[in-house]
Amino acid sequence: MSSFVEIIHLVNLVIMLAAALLAVLFRKLLPSVIALSVASLLLSLEFYLLHAPDVAIAEAAIGAGLTMAIFIFAIRGTR
Amino acid sequence: MKTKKIIFGIAFLLFFSLILVSAFQMRPFGEPVLSEMDDYFIANAQQETGTNNVVTSIVFDYRGFDTLGEATVLFTAICAIIALFRGVSK
Amino acid sequence: MSPMSKIVRTITKFVYSIIIIFGFYIIVHGHLTPGGGFQGGAVTASAFALLLVSYGSLASKKFVKKDFLSFLESSGLTLFIALAFLGLGTTFFYNLLANSGGWFGNVSSVGINPGDMNTGGVVPLMNMAVGLEVLSGLGVILLVMAGAMEFTKKKENL
Repeated sequence: MSSFVEIIHLVNLVIMLAAALLAVLFRKLLPSVIALSVASLLLSLEFYLLHAPDVAIAEAAIGAGLTMAIFIFAIRGTR
Repeated sequence: MKTKKIIFGIAFLLFFSLILVSAFQMRPFGEPVLSEMDDYFIANAQQETGTNNVVTSIVFDYRGFDTLGEATVLFTAICAIIALFRGVSK
Repeated sequence: MSPMSKIVRTITKFVYSIIIIFGFYIIVHGHLTPGGGFQGGAVTASAFALLLVSYGSLASKKFVKKDFLSFLESSGLTLFIALAFLGLGTTFFYNLLANSGGWFGNVSSVGINPGDMNTGGVVPLMNMAVGLEVLSGLGVILLVMAGAMEFTKKKENL
């Protein structure tokens, strides 16, 4: 049981690192913002796995929802 | 230019090694050193405040001043944003 | 901002009311389940963000105005401070209503239980005040930034 949870932790963290790296490496702006949002959503899943559902709800709402909306506004405004 | 890169490299290596050392020195999950306050909250929060959610009882009852400061910070940030965009948005 | 495609608009029409109701659920049940005022307000504001991104503007929704949301935000903070002053007979943040038998004053049973809505004293009221403040504050930020984006696009196209 414990090893199963640890495997989920490791896979989650590796995907999160890959998404964060993609957010830096993408040349276009909109895919970069989407990759940043994916990293934030996986961070909220990690908070949930560490038994902190309060922080997970706040992170999923603010990091993946509102920040991405404001970034999309900025990209649409400068184009 | 080259000395700047060397200084940056040394600082990065130092920072990364400190993070690595602290990651290996970390004690196991869920075993804090000083836990008297946590034990008091877990034992008495449900009787004293009547809330089932101990986190909310700490945030809004025992540590109410922190929540007041957080709400004031949010209010000040929104006032600053409205003042910054006052002529721009309709 | 021009509205997005028809698929996005149709899905938004089905989903945004459910998101708003879930946010209010998190706010009102803050003393029983995980969450609270800040988290529920952020979830509800993300529903506003979804509407703004998919429809382009909220000009058809008459109840979402900047001045009205700003008024709601100020009233939420004022209500929070007034609830804090309510227990001034003992200390500043004293929980006056808990275990008193009146409003939200039932004695909660100790241990693991499904929970009673009518417990918690001043904590659910503070949850609602902070939830109102966070909801309308983040909504004001989104509305102001969307208006500024319209302004810059119009200025660049001239």
